Amino acid sequence: MPRLFASAAYRLAFTYTAACTLAILLLGSGVYLAAGTAIHQQQDDDLRLEMNVLTKEYEEGGRPDLIDKIHQRELSPNNDFRYALFASKQRLYGNLDVARPAAGFSSVTFPQPNKSSDDARGLLMGLPDGSAMLVAIDTEDLGRLDKTILILFSIGFVLILALGIVGSLALGRNLKLRLDRITKTAQAIADGDLTRRIERSGSADEFDQVDASLNAMLDRITSLLENLRQISSDVAHDLRTPLTRLRGEIEAGLSGPAEPDAMRGALLRALEQNDSILSLFAAILSIAEIESGKTVGSFRAIDLSQLVGTVCDMYAPALEDSGRPFSFSLIPDAVVQGDPELVMQAMSNLLDNALAHTPEGTRIHVTLARDQGGFSIHVADNGPGIEEADRERVVRRFVTLDRARSRGGHGLGLNLVSATMMVHGGKLDLGDNRPGLVVSLTFPDFSPCSSIRDKLPAQMPSTKCERKVLPLM
Amino acid sequence: MAHDDRDTALNQAGIQALDILVVEDDLRTREIIRAGLTDNGHRVRLAESGSQALHVAAESEFDVAILDRMLPDINGLEVLGELRRRGTRTPILLLSALGSVNDRVSGLDSGADDYLVKPFAMVELLARVGALHRRPPLGAVPTRIMIRDIEVDMLGRQVWRRGQALPLHPREFDLLVLLARNAGRPVTRKMFLEQVWRIHYDPTTNVVESHISRLRSKLRQGFDDDPIETIQNVGYRMRTCA
Repeated sequence: MPRLFASAAYRLAFTYTAACTLAILLLGSGVYLAAGTAIHQQQDDDLRLEMNVLTKEYEEGGRPDLIDKIHQRELSPNNDFRYALFASKQRLYGNLDVARPAAGFSSVTFPQPNKSSDDARGLLMGLPDGSAMLVAIDTEDLGRLDKTILILFSIGFVLILALGIVGSLALGRNLKLRLDRITKTAQAIADGDLTRRIERSGSADEFDQVDASLNAMLDRITSLLENLRQISSDVAHDLRTPLTRLRGEIEAGLSGPAEPDAMRGALLRALEQNDSILSLFAAILSIAEIESGKTVGSFRAIDLSQLVGTVCDMYAPALEDSGRPFSFSLIPDAVVQGDPELVMQAMSNLLDNALAHTPEGTRIHVTLARDQGGFSIHVADNGPGIEEADRERVVRRFVTLDRARSRGGHGLGLNLVSATMMVHGGKLDLGDNRPGLVVSLTFPDFSPCSSIRDKLPAQMPSTKCERKVLPLM
Repeated sequence: MAHDDRDTALNQAGIQALDILVVEDDLRTREIIRAGLTDNGHRVRLAESGSQALHVAAESEFDVAILDRMLPDINGLEVLGELRRRGTRTPILLLSALGSVNDRVSGLDSGADDYLVKPFAMVELLARVGALHRRPPLGAVPTRIMIRDIEVDMLGRQVWRRGQALPLHPREFDLLVLLARNAGRPVTRKMFLEQVWRIHYDPTTNVVESHISRLRSKLRQGFDDDPIETIQNVGYRMRTCA
């Protein structure tokens, strides 16, 4: 028992049962007392009524008629009343063998043939000729009724108590089992098994909802951890190559001829390698920062029309100078919720790619268009495109299609775009431009108070319904 | 005396010698920054902790302060706050290993005038220091700049060379203003990206170079000299004299 009470679930169930039992006890006692009072009242009313009948008889025909009436009523089989007519002290008539009580209601005891005596309730009333009339009714039946009620009530009470205890045990056990599932899962996770999840009951009740949100939280933590683990291993793996090159350059500089020009050349190459490592590092860190969802806190309403215009304007001279005709078409008022610099960087990465991975003469076109339920930015070119089989792979971290990485890319550009789109609740698609590649960024619409929140990732804090667009520059 | 000779030489090249406070706890980094600054003619006072920085700043005046964000005793942001509370108006450049947007915003909010993420190139630091010192105090921004024969009207966003109006694209105008404000001193690619486009990432495409080349050809149209000078691996500089 003390072990049961150590459990909050059982304690709760038992407390509830105890409270219910107490309430039933109070209710039962109340009913019992009220019923008793009502029955006594009824008895007194019956006595008064009977007395009325008799006094009326007396008023009409005097004592002889009264005695007749009493006689008649005593012989009637359904009559429970007993009578006595007193002269002054002396009983004149009637089957109630008692001494004259005081006037009004009183308790009387009368002898019974097969028992010693019986209790009755009596009403005595004086008559005008100095005699007095006593009408009484046996209270033994009433006592029996009282006792029956009491017994029934006690049986009921004990049954309820027993059911309550059984119910408490069942309820407590149920609560405890459901909480134990959470505890066991938490324990397993604490012990290192991150794949464990709480078994759902499928009932959609509060416990099931708690289980669901805990599982969702665990999924999110696991994906963040997985992400972190992936990044650490990527970093460990992909930094090795440029670090080896850096080391090689320095070593070559040291072991080569001690001429200033040779040294200078080696140092310059080492510096180049170093900067390449740093830019790789910066890219990894910003992807990690985006994926962690930290940037979501600073999201605000941004006008894609203005932003895409700015980036196109920034890139137009460089693209044209490289011999790639560049054009763009925008629609006004494309307001979405987001981080302007992240979206600009995503756009920049796409245009950097378009420049780096297409031959001279390739046409590049940027379109901002309204899409169903949002806005899309399409960066299209008529260059060599990407094989369908490679389109999904190329979005992953450190994947570059030209094996030698001769263009100096780290294979992180599209991954950053993908992470950016994910955190904006949108998506990145690579498609066939027949010929060439078309990369599409789709953003959910940001109309104030629209159903945007359903489309945004779970970590998105609720945003105020403002349609305030801050100028970019 | 050595200083005086140097100052004259540098002043002729259009570079002004500045008194700079450098607060950095790492000995090697401190020495590298000191060497870089003194090689360019600046006078440097060093501090290796927040408390020392506050002490040094209280007893001397500086043209520019370079403050590391992470210091062993009092962190850089607190030092910055304390200096601003004391009413110091010295331009302060915050150096930090923390490069995220939030970190940058918190740094600038604390009263820093510029923010440079470690690791940085020395030329970048030198260019920033020069730009910071010359930055006009708030409310005193000139509405018209005259560099050689080029006149820039900041309010009307118009440019004339020898009285001849030049049709500049808005972005080209912004680039020219940044160059003109720093006339005689280099402006780095990063500074253009941060101040003209307000971006803090580094596009691999030569966006700055292409815009400058357009600005340059418009400025040169019909003239035989180029007012913009390319500084290899650094950026661009506007020449102050022909």
